[in-house]
Amino acid sequence: MNPIHARLIHCFSLVFPALPPEQIRAATPRNVAAWDSVAAISLVNVIEEEFNTQIDFEDMAELNSFDAIANYLTERVPAGD
Amino acid sequence: MKVSEALEIVHGADSRARPFHVVLACSFTPLHLQTFVAAHLQRRLLDRKVTLATGLYGDLLGVLRKVRTMQADAIAVVLEWADLDPRLGYRNLGGWGPAEEPDILQQAERGITEMRRAVEQAAQGAPVAISLPTLRLPPAFHTAAWQAGSTEASLTAAVSQFAADLAKLPRTFLVNREQLDAASPPDARFDLKSELFAGLPYSIAHASALGEAVAHLIAPPAPKKGIITDLDDTFWSGIVGEVGSNGVSWDLNSHAQIHGLYQQVLRALADQGVLVAIASKNDPAVVDRALERADVIVPRDKLFPIEVHWHAKSGSVGRVLKAWNVAADSVVFVDDSPMELEEVKQAHPGIECLRFPGQDYKSAEAFLRRLRDLFGRPHLSEEDALRRDSLRHAKQFTEELEDASDDFLRQINSVVTVERAAAAADPRSRELVNKTNQFNLNARRYEEAEWDLAARREGAFVWSLAYQDKFGPLGKIAVIGGQCQNGCLAIDVWVMSCRAFARRIEHQCLSLLFEQPGVEEIAFCFRATERNGPLQEFLTGILGEPPTPGARLRREDFLRRCPPLFHRFQSRET
Repeated sequence: MNPIHARLIHCFSLVFPALPPEQIRAATPRNVAAWDSVAAISLVNVIEEEFNTQIDFEDMAELNSFDAIANYLTERVPAGD
Repeated sequence: MKVSEALEIVHGADSRARPFHVVLACSFTPLHLQTFVAAHLQRRLLDRKVTLATGLYGDLLGVLRKVRTMQADAIAVVLEWADLDPRLGYRNLGGWGPAEEPDILQQAERGITEMRRAVEQAAQGAPVAISLPTLRLPPAFHTAAWQAGSTEASLTAAVSQFAADLAKLPRTFLVNREQLDAASPPDARFDLKSELFAGLPYSIAHASALGEAVAHLIAPPAPKKGIITDLDDTFWSGIVGEVGSNGVSWDLNSHAQIHGLYQQVLRALADQGVLVAIASKNDPAVVDRALERADVIVPRDKLFPIEVHWHAKSGSVGRVLKAWNVAADSVVFVDDSPMELEEVKQAHPGIECLRFPGQDYKSAEAFLRRLRDLFGRPHLSEEDALRRDSLRHAKQFTEELEDASDDFLRQINSVVTVERAAAAADPRSRELVNKTNQFNLNARRYEEAEWDLAARREGAFVWSLAYQDKFGPLGKIAVIGGQCQNGCLAIDVWVMSCRAFARRIEHQCLSLLFEQPGVEEIAFCFRATERNGPLQEFLTGILGEPPTPGARLRREDFLRRCPPLFHRFQSRET
């Protein structure tokens, strides 16, 4: 598995503990009821901690699915970090 | 603590554990603060599942006003300047500057008055942990940052007075600002971006530090009960066996002030009811003369027991623990010798061993503060002050009890005072229930809200018993409570201090219950624990068989097995 995906799945499982692991990769605010604005901020903070990066609040609107976040991180996080 | 770590702790808690409900009242988006309060509390309450409820955004007063209708074991209140006047925050544009200053001050003072009233009311339902503004005031005033203007100074003074008033309230516990400053640097607390975008004004690090401070107030560590101290180069400077009783010192002129400060802390601890004992390898006669010196800060009568001889200190510590009847994990041992500390630690693994810092002044201040933290108590009670004297009396009592018999018990002038109506509301009752192990019916511990709820059940009662005899008062030593149903008393709370053993007070408790009109049978909500052997032994004798959960005792069986009782009674009904 893509190492970024594996770490991102861990982040999602922390913020959405009720979400079955197999559904995480398809997660979006539309199909995860707990993904509200507060959870979105928690998710960003957990991702920042995990990947040692900073995510702008302005970018959060676009980070609206597992895949979108994974792509965002792939572009910004150096390989192996 | 990181957000991810906090989430792991919160989600990792056993969902089947008994819940611990906390209401978090703040007017900003609680976000990570909520997670951190829950996580830090969960780490302290391992056998509970912490749940956290919050109110509507911006409605702190509303939450406090309705908190009595919510299920709460504790309430956490986190205030910031904007709660006193929205102009003191960054999310409103109500105006800054000289024209606004008088009105901001007036509004803040009104806000404090309302807040004080709301906190007082809330504290009647559950204990309140409260944090007053932790962020800097905004740049709203006419002075430059290096000058405190009159409005800022007045605002700070109003909050300080508010803090002083809150600290006096029962069931209200205030975050110590100095302690928080040490854990969370003031300049790193505010996060403007988070405030504007998410509604949480705190940086993650500050939210964690504040969450921990609040959790500490809600679930503080149990204070230690006693301290055993070495003498040479600890209690005083110098080796008394070499320099003589007048050669040891603890004052500024002798450059031995650290030892004087240590004695001063010991004296203060003794005055608040902490047990203080001596364990020293020395010649007893020389030590006697030194302790008789008029300038000793800790009077000799506050030291009990005094173990001075040339044998191993682990033995001295063992005898002190026995005299105090406390477990090693409730005690601190202080010595300047690492070897002695290690020897004691190996023999008594639970004991907290602290090395006296000597002339290491940086460590010395931390050492003195550490002692205050280990023994700090939220409130002091009369019983705390009685403890040392009652232990001394207990020793004398036990010595005389060796020939004890009905004749002995008959002539000790024992008086039992029973408090009925006010026993449940007395904080000492719940405290005794929560800290007693050996004579405890089931070791159930109660949060304040649970205790109040149990006492308000239909047919419920809680009594407390105080005791004294010719050896002195023991203070409040027993609590018994339960519920009366159809002539049967179901007892679900029964504890007695180990200081009161061997006086037949436990028999007297049951006798008093059977004196109630219509009571023919008592049922015990008993649970065996590792430490309630003395209770089990008593119940085995009085029941005629080892106790089981729900064990019952009929009046005629009790009367047949109860030995003669010689206590005189006083009853307090108010």
